[in-house]
Amino acid sequence: MAIAEATSSTKNARSEALSPLIAVKNLRVTFPAGGSEPKEVLKGIDLEVQPGEIVGLVGESGAGKTTLARSILGLPPAPGRISAGEVFFENRQILKLSEPELRRLRGRRLSVVVPNPRAELNPLLKVGDQIASMAKIHLSVSGKEARRMALQMLRDVQIPDPERRMNAYPHELSGGMAQRVVIAMALICSPAFVISDDATSGLDVTVQAQILALLAKLAADHGSAMLFITRDVGITAHFCNRVAVLFSGEIMEMAPRESLFLKPAHPYTLMLLAAFSHSPKLRETWSVPDTGRRREPSAGCQYVNRCPLAQPVCRTQRPPFAEIEPGHFARCHFPVRHA
Amino acid sequence: MMRILFYFGKRLIFVIPQLLGIVLVSFLLVKSIPGDPAVLMLGPTATPSAIASLREQLGLDQPLYMQFLIYVKDLLHGDLGTSWQTTRPVLEDLIQRFPATLELVTFSLLLAIIIGVSLGVHAARKPNGWIARLADIYGLSAGALPDFWFALVLIFIFYTVLGWAPAPLGRIDMIVLPPMPITGALTIDALLAGDFEAFKSASAHLVLPVLTLGLLNAGPILKMTQATMEKMLESDFSRYEILCGIPQNLVVRHALRNALPSIVTIISVLYGFLIGGAVLVEIVFSWGGAGQYAVQGVLNSDIYPVLGFVLFSAVFSLIVYIAVDLLYFLLDPRISN
Repeated sequence: MAIAEATSSTKNARSEALSPLIAVKNLRVTFPAGGSEPKEVLKGIDLEVQPGEIVGLVGESGAGKTTLARSILGLPPAPGRISAGEVFFENRQILKLSEPELRRLRGRRLSVVVPNPRAELNPLLKVGDQIASMAKIHLSVSGKEARRMALQMLRDVQIPDPERRMNAYPHELSGGMAQRVVIAMALICSPAFVISDDATSGLDVTVQAQILALLAKLAADHGSAMLFITRDVGITAHFCNRVAVLFSGEIMEMAPRESLFLKPAHPYTLMLLAAFSHSPKLRETWSVPDTGRRREPSAGCQYVNRCPLAQPVCRTQRPPFAEIEPGHFARCHFPVRHA
Repeated sequence: MMRILFYFGKRLIFVIPQLLGIVLVSFLLVKSIPGDPAVLMLGPTATPSAIASLREQLGLDQPLYMQFLIYVKDLLHGDLGTSWQTTRPVLEDLIQRFPATLELVTFSLLLAIIIGVSLGVHAARKPNGWIARLADIYGLSAGALPDFWFALVLIFIFYTVLGWAPAPLGRIDMIVLPPMPITGALTIDALLAGDFEAFKSASAHLVLPVLTLGLLNAGPILKMTQATMEKMLESDFSRYEILCGIPQNLVVRHALRNALPSIVTIISVLYGFLIGGAVLVEIVFSWGGAGQYAVQGVLNSDIYPVLGFVLFSAVFSLIVYIAVDLLYFLLDPRISN
């Protein structure tokens, strides 16, 4: 009996591992652009995250990171709208769900850690109440139990003097502490999937490292998979199983962590790595060109105007998202090969 | 807490010079209205010597600054002068009439708040919905209609045609005995006295003037609520609450909490304004309130009722503003820092 249960549970685990926890398929988001054709900000994103996996998503400002994070939850930043595509969560197409059904998923099963939390927390409510209300609303626990859970979460995110912080207002917290509060809110319901949207961009580097380590550990403790969105490609090296590189609303390269850092194939990835690199040789070979005004080519590769390897074909044909090695994809006509 | 007390101590100290300034300015303004009360009091057949002696008796022969100093000295003794029209002390007259105005204005404002806030919140929830469109039209027409005209329309419909409302002749039926004045507000006094007949009559007389002022003054409250709520619902914290799966009603309630300081501000401004601004409606309904009394004073060079009214309104406005400051402290934890 016990053995039968054990085998069935491993079977379940295996079948879950085969189907991704979250699957974004051909997601397109457009913003109205004053009369003319609406501007496409996400140009067909495909992305899968397995249960328990941490996937990094790197991109510069304007690449569409936050738009992607919010669109996965069905809430693209206004006035954007999802023009095409699907988001499957546990094999359910969640963008088709009614607003109340989606609401019950948000914060409970899919949660987000926001950047700039001092503006995102309600300024008139004590942070303890804001954390507790997540548990009260989503887990239907009593007010007392919710407060107990909130206090425990504050301990888990290692806020000093958690009992006192329960009664603090957001404006009384430092940026790092507010960030920890937002993490507590994101994790209190033990969601299956957490999106960290550039969560530490406003903090000092040392605090940043602490909080990221904490976030990764807590996500693992709660069994949550994570999409880890950041501008800093270096950060992804520490936490992520796989890394995707977003540029101008398209995923340019996606690979397991080692593969991406050791054998980057897309010129943009190389340039990102070079910008953060300590190796003078790499920096010089792949320095960021002075492109002046950014023009977006509609037909060819999005990166063509900044690419040192650009050929005529890059302007006319959109490169395919080709698998250049098992599990390593790059959207480039001339991916860089490494010896 | 200490900081709040300290703040209000400081506020109260400034009240005295504020009031003195208001008295000085209104004294000069009222004095500059042409017209000699002595002539008006004695009538067209008065001899010049009689007028001169009356002027002397009233202190009108003194230079302006002396008249002012005498007025302030009397003020400090609680004497607001005497109205030559009613031949009674202004203080007594105002104590009788000010509550009438206050009762009218307070109930009107309550109605305006109910209409303005609820319509504004609903309009902000769906900025392109039909309620929002209705709110736009309402806000515009409420600002454009003159109140005395609107009052006459209501009287025509509900008194003349339908006969539902009592005659617009005061605050209570002539045949009903008014309750013992305690607060001066007839409805409240009637309730305190347990006099249901008087309460019914007083309430019935309130309906049309309150509708007039309430409906027309809901406009600014509506606009402020709508604009602030739209801003709050688009703000980062509302969006974050939605991302966290907080139910929409709760998100709206939290946004309203954040919008309240602006709404309270416009309400307090309206409250002070309406004390004097309700005068045309008072006249239409023969309300016998303080505004009506002050206008009579202006028209007949009877300056003490005017000054007394200005002083009462100023004190009232200051009380309202201090109360509002106190409310801000309760509404927003960031202010006490």
